[in-house]
Amino acid sequence: MSARDKTISDDAISLSEKGHRQVIQVNIVRLVIYVLLGLLAIVSLIPFAMMIINATRTNGEILQGFTLIPSNALMENYDILISYVDVWRGFLNSLMIAVLVTLLNSYFSALTAFAFWAYNFKGKTFIFGFSLLLMMVPGQLSMLGQYELASNLGILNTYWPLILPAIAAPFTVFFFRQYLYTSMPYSIVEAARIDGARDLLIFHRIVLPVLKPAIATQGIFTFIGSWNNYMGPLIMIRTPSKFTLPVMMGALSGSPVANNLGAMYLGIAISVVPIMIAFMFFSKNIISSISSGAVK
Amino acid sequence: MLRQRKLQPYAFIAPFLIVFLIFNIYPIFLTFYFSLTNYSGMGGIDNATFIGLDNYRRLITDGYFYKSILNTIIIWVGGFAVQLLIALGLALVFSDIQLKLKGLGFFRTLFYLPNIVTVASVSILFSLILDWNYGSLNQLLMQIGILNQPINWLNNPAYAQGSVSVINTWMWFGQTFIILYAGIAGIDNDLLEASFIDGANWWQRFRYITLPQIKPIMLYVMITSLIGGLQMFELPQLLTDGTGSPQGSLRTIVLYLYNQSFLYNNFGYGSTIAYGLFFITVIFSIIIFKTMYADQVKEGERR
Amino acid sequence: MKYLKNGFKLASIASLSLLLGACGEDKPDLTIMSFTDELQRPIDKFEELHDVNVELQIIPNESYRETLQPILESGEGAPDVFTGEIVFMQQWLDANYWEDLSSDPYNVDEWSDDYVDYVWDLGKDSDGNVRAVSWQVTPGGIYYRRSIAEEVLGTDDPKEVGDMMSTMEGLMDVGAKMSEAGYALFPDEGSISKFTSAFGANEEPWFDEETMELNMNEQRLSYFDYAKELRDNQYSALAPAWSPAWYQSFDGPIPYNLGWDELEDAEGESTIEVFGVALPTWALDAVFKQEASENAGDWAVTNGPTSYFEGGTWLGVYEGSENKDLAFEFVKMMTHDEEFLTEWVDETGDVLSYSPVTDKVKEDISDDFLGGQNHYEFFLDEADTIDASTVTPYDQQLNDLFGTQVGLYVDGEITKEEGIQAFYDEVNNSFPEIITPDN
Repeated sequence: MSARDKTISDDAISLSEKGHRQVIQVNIVRLVIYVLLGLLAIVSLIPFAMMIINATRTNGEILQGFTLIPSNALMENYDILISYVDVWRGFLNSLMIAVLVTLLNSYFSALTAFAFWAYNFKGKTFIFGFSLLLMMVPGQLSMLGQYELASNLGILNTYWPLILPAIAAPFTVFFFRQYLYTSMPYSIVEAARIDGARDLLIFHRIVLPVLKPAIATQGIFTFIGSWNNYMGPLIMIRTPSKFTLPVMMGALSGSPVANNLGAMYLGIAISVVPIMIAFMFFSKNIISSISSGAVK
Repeated sequence: MLRQRKLQPYAFIAPFLIVFLIFNIYPIFLTFYFSLTNYSGMGGIDNATFIGLDNYRRLITDGYFYKSILNTIIIWVGGFAVQLLIALGLALVFSDIQLKLKGLGFFRTLFYLPNIVTVASVSILFSLILDWNYGSLNQLLMQIGILNQPINWLNNPAYAQGSVSVINTWMWFGQTFIILYAGIAGIDNDLLEASFIDGANWWQRFRYITLPQIKPIMLYVMITSLIGGLQMFELPQLLTDGTGSPQGSLRTIVLYLYNQSFLYNNFGYGSTIAYGLFFITVIFSIIIFKTMYADQVKEGERR
Repeated sequence: MKYLKNGFKLASIASLSLLLGACGEDKPDLTIMSFTDELQRPIDKFEELHDVNVELQIIPNESYRETLQPILESGEGAPDVFTGEIVFMQQWLDANYWEDLSSDPYNVDEWSDDYVDYVWDLGKDSDGNVRAVSWQVTPGGIYYRRSIAEEVLGTDDPKEVGDMMSTMEGLMDVGAKMSEAGYALFPDEGSISKFTSAFGANEEPWFDEETMELNMNEQRLSYFDYAKELRDNQYSALAPAWSPAWYQSFDGPIPYNLGWDELEDAEGESTIEVFGVALPTWALDAVFKQEASENAGDWAVTNGPTSYFEGGTWLGVYEGSENKDLAFEFVKMMTHDEEFLTEWVDETGDVLSYSPVTDKVKEDISDDFLGGQNHYEFFLDEADTIDASTVTPYDQQLNDLFGTQVGLYVDGEITKEEGIQAFYDEVNNSFPEIITPDN
C-alpha cells in the first residue's frame, strides 16, 4: 500500500514539473482538432450550401459555374417548380401519413406490450417469439406480396397499405415491453384492479403515462422512418396528387422541372429545409434517444 | 370476472395480431408462392404458371445476381469503414479528459443533420451536384484548382461506387459518432483514472480500455449498418438512370429486385431475388452473432 | 419534450382535418392522364365548351408505362382518357385497356380516310380495331440555326443545307466545318442515333417477332463509330439530351469546360455554340417555343441522312371509364374537330395527321420561329415515307440499353466489343425470350 502511494506522489511531482510544457502541447493539439472539426463541418454543409445557393440562381448561371453568392431567381424558380409539381401537397401527404403511422404504431404497440407484460396467457411466448423472429426478415420479402395484397383488396393507390401495417410493429412492442419491465411496478396495476378499474382504463390512465418517454423516443424514429419511406409509396401510390414527398423528389428528375437546374435545387431545398428546422428544435431529444438506444 | 380477464389479453393483442398476419405473414408466403411461378405482376396470380424451382435454378446461376451482391457489399464496406474511422476519431477527441473540447452539442447536431434528410432528396441533390460538366462539385474543384479536368463521377464504375460510399458516409457518420460517444462516455471512470495512475499513455488507454469497452457497441453499429446496407435502394436508383448504370456497378440487390419486378415485369423472379436477399441476410447475421457470441464468451472468461 | 408534445398534437389535428378534407373533395367529371402538360390548353377549352370539370394528371415520361399499367390493370384510380406513346403502344393495344372505337357508338372507322396512314395503323389492335387515335404525325429532321449555316456553310436555305447532310459522310463533313469555325454540330452524341437505330430509321426491326432473333445490323452498329467520331473530333457540345445544358445550348453558347489534355490551352472560360439538333415535329413547340425561344426566327428544319420518327401521342377512352360519352367527346375534339385543330395549328405549329385541316393549311403555313419556313410540307412529305411495320414492342428499352453501351464506349470506359457483349447480356437478362446473336 505504501509503495503505491509513493508512485502516485512521484507522478504528481513529475506532472507539475512537466505541467507548463504539457499545457502548451494540449493547446496546440486542441487548435489542430478545432481546425479539423471546422473543415469537417464545412464539408458536411457544402452539399446543403450548394442546394440553397443554387436554388436562387437561374439555369444559365448554374451552368456557368459555382459561386457562394446567391442570385435573385428564387421566385422565378419557384414559379417554374410549382407549375409542374405541387411540393407542398407532397409535404402535407407525407406529414399526414407519418403522423397517422406514428399514432397507430405508438398506441397499438403500447397496448400489445401491456398485454404481454400484464398477463399470462396461452400462446404468449410463441406469439412474442415468433413476431420477434420475423423482425429479422427484411421488408423486401413481404413487399411484393403486400403489393399483390393491396391490389386484391382494392386499396392500391390509397394510403391504407402504408398506414395500416403500422399497427403491427414487433420492434416497438419489444421496446415498450422492456420499458414496462424496468420502470413499472406490477403492484400498481393490481391496486387499481382492486379499486375496480377496468383493464382498458388502467392501460389508458396508468400505463400510457408511464410509457410516455419510451413513446417519445420510439415515436421520433417511427416518424422519421415513415417520412423517409420511399419504396412503399413508390410501389403503392400512382396518382401524382397523392405522391409523398420522397416519391415526388424521385419523380422530379423525369419531369419538366428537370430542364431548369435552379427549380430542381429549389424543389429539393423545399423538401429538406423544413425538416432541418424541425430537427433543430428536437435535436436534443433525438440525440439522447440515439445515445440511450445504443447503450442498452 | 376471471373468465373475462382470461380473454382480455387476446382482445388487447388482437389488432396487432390481425394486422401482423395480414400485412406481414401472409405477404411473405405470397411472395414465396410467386417465386415458384412465372407471374408477370399483372392480371392476377391465376394467370401465372407454376414452374417449381426454375426461378431458384436461374438465381444460383445468375451472374447479375452475384454481381449485385458484390456491388452492395463493396459500396457498404467502403462507406462503413470511413464512417467508422471518422466517428471513432470524433468520439475519442470529444471524450478526451485532457482536451476538454467545447461545442459537443453543436457538432453532434451539425454532423447528424444529413441523416434526417430524406434519402430520395439526397439522391437527387447529389445526382445534380455530381454531374460531369455542370455539377457544382466539379465546377468548384476546378475553380479552386484542385482538378484541371472534370471527373465523370457517375459514368465510371469505381467512381460511381465510391460516390455512393462517400454519400453514405456523409449521411451516417454523425449517427455513428453519437452512438460511439455515448458508449465511451458510459465507460466506468474508475477504469480511466486507474490507467492514468498506472501511467498509461494515450494509445495504451485506447487499446486496452476504450476499445474493448465499446466493442459491443461497435458490433451493434455494424449490424444495424449492414442490415440497412443490404437493403440499399434509393441512392443507386436515383443517382443514375435507375438501371444501375454505369456498367451495372450501382445495381444493388434491392435495385435488381425492383427492376426485375416492376420494370421488366418478372414478378416471379423478383420474388426469388427477395428470398435470395433473405438468405444472404441470415448468413451475415449468423456470422455477426457468432462473432458477438465469441466475444461474450471471452468476456465471461476474463471475469 | 414540451415542444415535441405540442408539435405532435398540432400535427395530429392538422393531419386529421386533412384526411377529412380529402373526403369532401370535388370529384372531376373527367380525369385524363398523360405524360406531358400539352393537353392542358385543349382541356381548358373543353371545360369551357361543355361546362365540365376536367382533371389532368401528369405522370412523368420516364415512369409513365410502369406507373400507368398497374392502374389500368386494377382500375383503381384509373382515368377516363389516357394517352399512349409509340414506345409502348403495341403492348397496350392488345391489352384491352382502351375501348374499341371501331364499334358502336363510336364507329371511328368512318374517319380512316382523313388520317395519315402510318398514324392510323399504329392505333389498331391486332384484330384491326381502332383503340387509339392521334392528332399528329411525328417525323423528324434536323433543326439548325440559320445564322450559323449562313456563316459556315454559305447558305441558310433548308433545301441546300439538307442536301449537304443527306448522307452520313455529308453530315460528318458539315460537322468538320462547324468544328473548324468553333461550333458544335450537335449538342450530344445521341443525336446521331436518330439516323442509325431510331424508329423508322433502320430498315429492319430490332428483332424478328416470329423467331425472336435479335437483328444487329451494320447500320445499328455504326452508331458506335459515328458517336465516337462526334466526340473525338469535338463535333458535340457534351450536353446530354434533355439535360438543362441541352436546353440551354439552343439559346446560345454554353460552357464547354471539357478538360481533355489536348485542350489545355483553352482556359476554363471557353464556351461553345450548337449548330443543330435532330428532333421530331413536336419539338418545335415543346422544346423550342416553350423552353428555348431565345433565338426565335433564326431556326430552320431540314432532312438528315435518313428519315425517322420519334414519339407521337395517341389517345383513347379507358374501357372501364364511367363517363365514356364525355370521354369520347374529348378524344373527338382533340383528333377530329376541324375548328379546334385549325386553332391548335395556329397556336403550336404542331404537324397534324388530320388531312381535312392539313390540306387546308399546308400551303400557307409559315412559321415565324423557323424564319417563315413552311415546315408543314417538309414534315408531311417525311411522314409519307414512314413504314410502321419495323416497330417492335421493346424498341424503346432496346434503344436505351444500346445507347447506354455506346455512351460508355464514347467515354472510353469500354471497347466496342465489350459494349456489344454487355448489350447482349443486358438483353438476355431483361428479355429472356429474345435470342441474341451470341447464343
